[in-house]
Amino acid sequence: MTNIWTIAAYELRRLFRSRTMLINLFLLPILLIFLLGSALSGVIGEGKDRTIHPFRVGIVDAAANPSERSQMIGSFLKSPGVAEIITPEIADSREAAVSGVRSGEYGYAVIVPAGFDQDVQSGQQAKLEYILGKDRSDNMVAATVFDNFLSKINYTQAAALTLGPQAISAMLEPGQASPSVVLGKLNEGGQSYTASQFYAASMLMMFLLLCGQMVITSLYSEKDNHTLFRIGSMPVKGSELFRGKMLGIGIVSVLQCAAIIFATHFLFGVYWGNRPGILALLCLLMILASLTLSVTIAMFAQTAASARSISSGLTVVMTFISGGMAPLPDSWVNTGGAFSINHWGLRGVLRMMLESPLSQISGSLAMLSLICLVLLGLAFFSYRKVGYHA
Amino acid sequence: MALAQLTDVVKRYDSKLTVDHVNLSIREGEIFGLLGPNGAGKSTTISMLCGLLKMDGGSIVIDSISVAKQPLEAKKRIGLVPQDLALYEDLTAWENASFFGKLYGLRGGLLKERVQEALEFTGLADRAKDKPSTFSGGMKRRLNIACAIMHRPKLIIMDEPTVGIDPQSRNHILESVKALNKLGSTVIYTSHYMEEVEAICDRVAIMDKGHIIACGTEKELRERVAHEEKIVIKAGSITPELITELKRHPRVTRVEAEGETVELYLPSSQSELQDILFIFAKHGGVIQTLQIEEPDLETLFLSLTGRTLRD
Repeated sequence: MTNIWTIAAYELRRLFRSRTMLINLFLLPILLIFLLGSALSGVIGEGKDRTIHPFRVGIVDAAANPSERSQMIGSFLKSPGVAEIITPEIADSREAAVSGVRSGEYGYAVIVPAGFDQDVQSGQQAKLEYILGKDRSDNMVAATVFDNFLSKINYTQAAALTLGPQAISAMLEPGQASPSVVLGKLNEGGQSYTASQFYAASMLMMFLLLCGQMVITSLYSEKDNHTLFRIGSMPVKGSELFRGKMLGIGIVSVLQCAAIIFATHFLFGVYWGNRPGILALLCLLMILASLTLSVTIAMFAQTAASARSISSGLTVVMTFISGGMAPLPDSWVNTGGAFSINHWGLRGVLRMMLESPLSQISGSLAMLSLICLVLLGLAFFSYRKVGYHA
Repeated sequence: MALAQLTDVVKRYDSKLTVDHVNLSIREGEIFGLLGPNGAGKSTTISMLCGLLKMDGGSIVIDSISVAKQPLEAKKRIGLVPQDLALYEDLTAWENASFFGKLYGLRGGLLKERVQEALEFTGLADRAKDKPSTFSGGMKRRLNIACAIMHRPKLIIMDEPTVGIDPQSRNHILESVKALNKLGSTVIYTSHYMEEVEAICDRVAIMDKGHIIACGTEKELRERVAHEEKIVIKAGSITPELITELKRHPRVTRVEAEGETVELYLPSSQSELQDILFIFAKHGGVIQTLQIEEPDLETLFLSLTGRTLRD
């Protein structure tokens, strides 16, 4: 154990002597978080609750006579909730609706095709045409409301086709219908994160993964300096040298992690959540995953340069597919991104920033633990198989 | 009494025998030279002796401890000065020595004392706070030695410690080896420089193609080739015909010609010298200098292998 501490202490001493290493470890992440957080704050939001104000929606019914206008749309627009946020206004034609949206008279417009109700009742395809307005929030609210309306119609149609017409009346019985629109917060009781918070979390994950580069550099420099040859002739077990190096680099990574968290908190006001213990655990798991992944790469790569290329390439790809460089659609992040280490770390940290309940964080913790277990096994196997010698 | 005993040591790389049933006995208190050309198997033998390489056969015992069975115990008794500089360029000389000293189990006041002692011994005490990146090649070599002697090992192994350094540093290192030996350490010194081995070693083993081809004191080895002498002639106008006729001479065993220098090996120079001079005169070779040399280890190596040490 004494040898392990000696090797770790000298590893730390050597790492802290390198100015380039210090800049890469402590300055670069903070600078990147500042730049990305400032530049891309519009993409992610400002972390404030948005109040939805009622807005006018131009409704164009293509029916020839007013008596043939869609009853379904009419009653939907009068339903509780919808009427509170959407003020329907009849527009004469599509052109009038477009002109109204352009002039700002309408926040949004919907074109209802002729015979909409008949199509729905006869099980035919029924579509609505949307004309987007100038306000991003109004567009999002209106699209959500009308998409929800169409979803309900589809559901009713499907029920009628499979269970018979009586299913429609059963579904419309009092107490069965849910409100069309409910205003609230997705994260009840919590906050939403800012661009600085998002990039602080994603950059933290990326730089923790990059700490594996230090492992690769250290393992190969020992060979290149021939010091591994000398240490091999000393009363030091090969595993002691290996564990000492991992310990030294692990300590540097913990310090880097603490520096990023504290610096972003005090300099940019990044809120890291109210569970410091779990945050520390997530970071430790990320460090372990990074170290073990790099060990596996270093064991099988032919040269230090190829090992570093593989490691940095993997880190960048994983950061990108996990949505760490720019927020990606949820469907992408949850499919491809789920195969990256960052995904689980980033998800866990963002949940903590939103003060989500432990049940929502435990999934990320469990997945990261599993990844670490697999990578630890791989690193152990590769060390046994290839070994670390001059 | 043998401090290190190598018995039938074998090392194979793929199917090639790099070390072929080597038997060596290194006596306590001696400077033992291991001489051989590059690729002879010296460094592989040293690596097995230090427990860095696993043997494919045979046994190595250091101070009654089997290297294969108790490697860590055996390693405590060894101080290896590797052929390549094994130093951390980003640590000072003191820190380098201190790090390796700690790995040998030295701590606290004893560690400081030994680091100081090692740096003074190698003449680097006044550069203790400097990094090796600011050192000359010779100083780096000396620090390389300092890092191996702090724990006062019973057996110091020096694997070609003078490669690529200036004559002054080389002399300093050779003097250091003698001084370490006087302090009680047994030294194994490998080199392909015959002069170094002749200058400091009590006994010498000559290695070639994985075999020990000769072993003994310098005197014993010289006696094996006492019947051979070398004549070194520096002359102008050396023609191929001259060399051909020298080679045809029935008493000349070997002729080496390079530029204006011709080396001749023959059993007795006195009786054949007149013939040699006549051949030179016949082919217009103008002799500038002529030197008759006593047989040395180079001569022995040549007579045993047909090659020179630097081939």
